[in-house]
Amino acid sequence: MTPHSSRKSPPRQRNRSIFGQLTAASILIAMIAVAVLFAVTTITIQRQTRASLSATVATDLAGLIDIYATAGRTELLRRVNDRQDVVSLEGRRSHYLVADGAGRPLSGDISRWPQLNAAMSEEGFVALADGTKVYAQGAKLAPDLQLLVAREYDRDKASLLVISAIFLGVGAAIVGAVALVALITSRHLARRMDAVNKALGAAADGRSANFPARLRGGDEIDEMAGHGARLLARQAQLLKAYKQVSEHVAHEVRTPLMHLDNRLGAAMQDRPEPPGGPIGQSREDIRGITTLLDSLLDIASAESRRGELAGLAEIDLSAIVASLADLYEDSAEDADLTLETNIAPGVTMLGERMQITRLLSNLLDNAIKYVPAGGRIALTLTKGPHVVIEDNGPGIPHDQRDRIFERFVRATVPGEQHGHGLGLALSRAIAERHGLMLRLGDVPRGAQFILEPAP
Amino acid sequence: MSELNILYVEDDYRAAESVRALIAVGGDRLAWEKTGTAGLQRAGAEPFDVIILDRMLPDIDGLTIVSRLRAAGVDTPVLMLSALGRSENRIEGLEAGVDDYLAKPYEPQELVARLKALHRRSSGKVHGAVIIYGAFECHVKARTGFRSGRHIALSPREFALFRYFMENAGETVTREMLLRDVWNMNFDPQTNVVDVNIGRLRRKLEDGFASPALETIWGAGYRLTSGE
Repeated sequence: MTPHSSRKSPPRQRNRSIFGQLTAASILIAMIAVAVLFAVTTITIQRQTRASLSATVATDLAGLIDIYATAGRTELLRRVNDRQDVVSLEGRRSHYLVADGAGRPLSGDISRWPQLNAAMSEEGFVALADGTKVYAQGAKLAPDLQLLVAREYDRDKASLLVISAIFLGVGAAIVGAVALVALITSRHLARRMDAVNKALGAAADGRSANFPARLRGGDEIDEMAGHGARLLARQAQLLKAYKQVSEHVAHEVRTPLMHLDNRLGAAMQDRPEPPGGPIGQSREDIRGITTLLDSLLDIASAESRRGELAGLAEIDLSAIVASLADLYEDSAEDADLTLETNIAPGVTMLGERMQITRLLSNLLDNAIKYVPAGGRIALTLTKGPHVVIEDNGPGIPHDQRDRIFERFVRATVPGEQHGHGLGLALSRAIAERHGLMLRLGDVPRGAQFILEPAP
Repeated sequence: MSELNILYVEDDYRAAESVRALIAVGGDRLAWEKTGTAGLQRAGAEPFDVIILDRMLPDIDGLTIVSRLRAAGVDTPVLMLSALGRSENRIEGLEAGVDDYLAKPYEPQELVARLKALHRRSSGKVHGAVIIYGAFECHVKARTGFRSGRHIALSPREFALFRYFMENAGETVTREMLLRDVWNMNFDPQTNVVDVNIGRLRRKLEDGFASPALETIWGAGYRLTSGE
């Protein structure tokens, strides 16, 4: 069987880092910004190209209409033949068509009238019969004469492509730069946050915490680290004060009790009395008071260290339980009880050996005290760790089930019982200090105490 | 065993007086120092058999004194006598280098028994394979016991107890010592587990013999007799 550890550090796995999210968000925003800028720019350029084409075509058309008006039809046909193949200053090649009323060519280098209404002076991007893409405008000069002026715009398209390419390159560079800066910044911030987090985590586990020193004197993280350090200092102060008070109380109560006990001891030597005599009883009472005081302080101490990992070491729970079973076996037999044990080997946990021993010993003491002769006590340890101590004694009265783990509460069971009613309170405090839960099982008969990892 | 030279560092006069009276009965010598500073000085300067240290002293606390002594190479056994008697306090003491820890109020005989046990342990009485005391024999390796040559069948835990008594033969063994050294517990269980276990061992050791083997020292503990 392989030993297994029940409880490691409490779960505090980080699922997502705000810095990772911030980095992703800044990259996304940079990409969107570049894309929007690109769209706006191309749309603007396209609009301006169209306006410029429209103006050029319109001017050319107006000139030809002028020629037709002043010099007549023949002159127009001649000029059109001259003008084709002229390349304008913008590098836009011109094309013309003079056609009759039905669109049949009379002159010009365009072989067919495109889908433009000459009567309405329609203009727009069209493809000529040979596939050339142009911006053209038509005009009706006479019922049997119409004129079309067109300009190629492939040069404009090429410049748009160049601009797009530049945009892509620059955009990628911007996004890359943003990503790099975001990564470096968030790495740096994450490192600083991690240092603060680590210090707080260590403090929560009860280990010594080192807060990162103030480096650049005061951004939010420095401020948070400062608050954390102050909080811990305050907590340490409180803990120290608590320890001091409890030690002083113990000292100041125990010292006079010791003197009293010494005097009683001396008195007993002067006047011997049989066991159970008044002086002996008084000395028993003195021990009772110190035990009570210690138990209260033990409970307070265990409660104050709940969730603290400092001082916990891997302990062999199987060995502890076996050793206790061994110690209590004779006691059980003496009380005419059967102690059945079922101990899985190799069960380990993080714990304080003495504390866990005390917890279990309290439960066994209880069983032996409360179960009448002829009864049975069963002690079971399984992986988890999961310890069950059950008996077939009188059990816990139903109305007291919720209260028996409180201080100074004893189950009212027939038969005279001793104790301050602190045993179970201490056991539960120890369990909680170890991240375990001590609870009563729901059984029809007897009492069943279950020790298991807290949910 | 010869008389012990004991140093007691304690600020409370009455406590010191009662220990002095107690120690004097056995013929041991007690040197008393009222402050931690003086105690530390004296512990380093003179060879004592055992040092008794109060934990809460007005100047230096007992735990610091032990740590300083141990760091300085002084390994005289130290028994801490303190009003802080909780399990946690004991662990703190042992971690600081204390050899034994006794809480106030204590039984006078308990203190005497502890001091003697401490001295025995430190004076290096290493037991060999067989411990012989009076009519008893404890064969450590074979894990068997004999009384007047007759084998006594002991369970493993009875043997552990028997061996502890043999190692402290003739001396008072207290319940607390048994809990600590045999069962590894530094607190007192609420039931009489120790007495029950002792009762078992006693029956086995005395079965068929006329004289007692273990005697109860009332208020202190138990002692193994010579069995003869």
